[in-house]
Amino acid sequence: MKTLEFAIERWETILGLTIDHFEIVLTAMVISITMGVLVGIMITYNKTAAKIVLNIANVMMTIPSLALFSILIPLLGIGRAPAIAGLVLYTQLPIIRNVYTGIMNIEPSIIESARGMGLKKSKIMFKVKLPLAFPVIMTGVRTATVMGIGLGAIAAYIGAGGLGQYIFQGINRGNDKMILIGAIMVSVITVVIDRGLAFVQKRFEI
Amino acid sequence: MIKFEKVVKRYNDKDQPAVDELDLHIGKGEICMLVGPSGCGKTTTMKMINKLIKATSGKIYIDGQDIEKVDPIKLRLDIGYVIQDTGLFPHMTIAENIATVPQEKGWDRNKIRNRVDELLELMDLDPENFRDKKPKDLSGGQKQRVGVARALAADPPIMLMDEPFGALDPITRGKLQDEFLRIQEKIGKTIVFVTHDIDEALKMGDKIVVMRDGKVVQFGSPTEILSEPADDFVSELIGGNSNLKMMKLMKCKDIMREIPYVEATTTTEQALKVIKESDVNNLLVTEHGQKLLGYVSIGMLYRNENKIVGDFVRPIGETATPKTTLQDVLSDMFALGRKTIFVSGMKGRVDGIVTMDDLLKAVRDDDQTS
Amino acid sequence: MTKLRDSAIRIQDVILVVLILSIAIGFSYYVINYPQDKIVERFMSYEKIIMAITQHLKIVVISSLMAIGTSVPLGIILTRPKFKKFAPRVLSIVNIGQTIPSLAIVALFVGILGIGINTAILALWIYSLLPILNNTLVGIIGVDKSIIEAAKGMGMQPKRILFKIEVPLALPVMVAGIRTAVTINIGTAIFAAFVGGGGLGDLIIAGNNVNRWQILVLGATLPALMAILSDIAFGIVERKTTI
Repeated sequence: MKTLEFAIERWETILGLTIDHFEIVLTAMVISITMGVLVGIMITYNKTAAKIVLNIANVMMTIPSLALFSILIPLLGIGRAPAIAGLVLYTQLPIIRNVYTGIMNIEPSIIESARGMGLKKSKIMFKVKLPLAFPVIMTGVRTATVMGIGLGAIAAYIGAGGLGQYIFQGINRGNDKMILIGAIMVSVITVVIDRGLAFVQKRFEI
Repeated sequence: MIKFEKVVKRYNDKDQPAVDELDLHIGKGEICMLVGPSGCGKTTTMKMINKLIKATSGKIYIDGQDIEKVDPIKLRLDIGYVIQDTGLFPHMTIAENIATVPQEKGWDRNKIRNRVDELLELMDLDPENFRDKKPKDLSGGQKQRVGVARALAADPPIMLMDEPFGALDPITRGKLQDEFLRIQEKIGKTIVFVTHDIDEALKMGDKIVVMRDGKVVQFGSPTEILSEPADDFVSELIGGNSNLKMMKLMKCKDIMREIPYVEATTTTEQALKVIKESDVNNLLVTEHGQKLLGYVSIGMLYRNENKIVGDFVRPIGETATPKTTLQDVLSDMFALGRKTIFVSGMKGRVDGIVTMDDLLKAVRDDDQTS
Repeated sequence: MTKLRDSAIRIQDVILVVLILSIAIGFSYYVINYPQDKIVERFMSYEKIIMAITQHLKIVVISSLMAIGTSVPLGIILTRPKFKKFAPRVLSIVNIGQTIPSLAIVALFVGILGIGINTAILALWIYSLLPILNNTLVGIIGVDKSIIEAAKGMGMQPKRILFKIEVPLALPVMVAGIRTAVTINIGTAIFAAFVGGGGLGDLIIAGNNVNRWQILVLGATLPALMAILSDIAFGIVERKTTI
């Protein structure tokens, strides 16, 4: 109850941090999705490239997020920009992988008949492949976004701001209430966004 | 229409070419069946026509034009393509699926909508009911009909069909084959049809190309293939019962004989005279040379001396059409318990007659030539 | 059988492992022998690095073992006929739980239990329960029904069916869950330093506080390499258990 009072007293700060958090994650996700979808599409045309890119992205995912952010500090400094860079790098794998598998798993007969009917490569991609792979791509985007929100909290460590800042400050000052508020807010946002994206995904299922 | 000249297709990992120096000529409006065991090169041959597979060497001409010089996209837009798995786009409605090529060709909306409905009707699918359905809501046979409709959408002169009915149950397959033949009669496309089923080839084909190991073993009409198989491979492919198979191919119009007409007022004696001059044992009986009353047989004439035929004429009863296969005629004869059956192309008219003897003779004749 | 064992370890894994170990040792050697300044020189030593690694491993190993020890039996119980009806509900709760960020979990535990290594271990345990439970459930439920039917038909006891058929067939999926859990734990264990639990996170914090990149990057690189190493190791186990 004390925590709730604490939160109500500081609702403006918390709201500001939440908006910050959204801004960072949203910016990162827009870049990440654009990049990931493009890369994912490109590697469907070349098996070797696909293998290399997916392997790199795989290893990238294994690296702990805080470690990745820390390694970025000497390279990019601290602040929002390196935080966003870190988020983009980290959320690439689920998007690239799902774009790739989504497209590659389409039944070959469908692609063949599209080719046989005389559709151009670009038309096959936009009219057949991408719409068919859409549910799988959406799953990747959803995973990546959920990751991104959690990572956004960690990115506060390198000065990105957002709700993570509240958590880290709370840890430093030994203020349980701040920690709790930050953690609960991040969790709630994550779950809400995840459910929301799941709903969107369901609507587009074939 | 489609001409192959010394066409070779060699896949890089194999010594033996998939298609070896193939020469072939497919005429306009013909259904040409490519038949043979799997791996014989029939599918490769077909896919070289729309350049889904590129020939290693040799030339393929469509209407005298070397397809190597035609842009594959342009080429394919004018060639309908139907495959066994239908390849329907699962995320599009039936109407959208059928509209794909017309849209690529930039037809206007109304024209496309009309065309889609027209094709659905042609395929015996109610447009109201099916237009907005997704492929997953359709049965196998319906999907394949949509596949054919989609291939026909922009009215291409050529259709390539890769085992289109192969995945269907035998009853649906037979039905779709009949339907397709009926449609082909209206549309008269040049069709290249790949199958491994010799019975399908015999039933559907105007011409049959029997292939093995990338080579043509025999090229000919179904009756030629049946009556003169080029070698043991072809005979084996046809299997036993070639006489019965021949009966599936031959139609009433091929063997029926004409029947003389007499007026209902003709006397038995006069009628007997007419019958003896002809090579049939039946006479048709008309009234004033117009209305067909029925028939009299030679036996009836003997039993009814000193009468006029109008007194004992019998109605025609069940008839066959000129296009009925001999096999069907035979089973009709068994079913009706008759040795003769009249052939009628139009109601109220009789074009000829087929007897049991005619059937036996037709099959035996063909047998002797082999 | 030997063939299978051979194929489980791939050449690229061996190369990667050698590469990772050389980077870890080489980088540590570089930082200690060529420190950027006095501060780094005074702060860094092999003992310190090894201690941080040991602490880190301790947190990871204890929390992971606890997670395996709870999740696997729980998963098995939830696939038994009596409790099967709860499995989908548990799965969806697990799925929601997995979306909660790791930092939030660790932070929440500080809020409840205060600071210390035990808080870190408990938080990691809770967090890594989820992927293992998820995969145990999915793995066992995913076993081909006809195989179990055949076993039943042959008169096998339910217990024997579980241990002779269901578990061995589900093992690769279960190992995959453990693989994910351990990899995540290695990363999350960095946060232990923030709550006074020690480990390699200490180096990161120290590096940041004194603003010396050598300490910071070493502190970040070592858990990263550790995570990749564990991923490779569990990858091999996963392939070995795959029939």
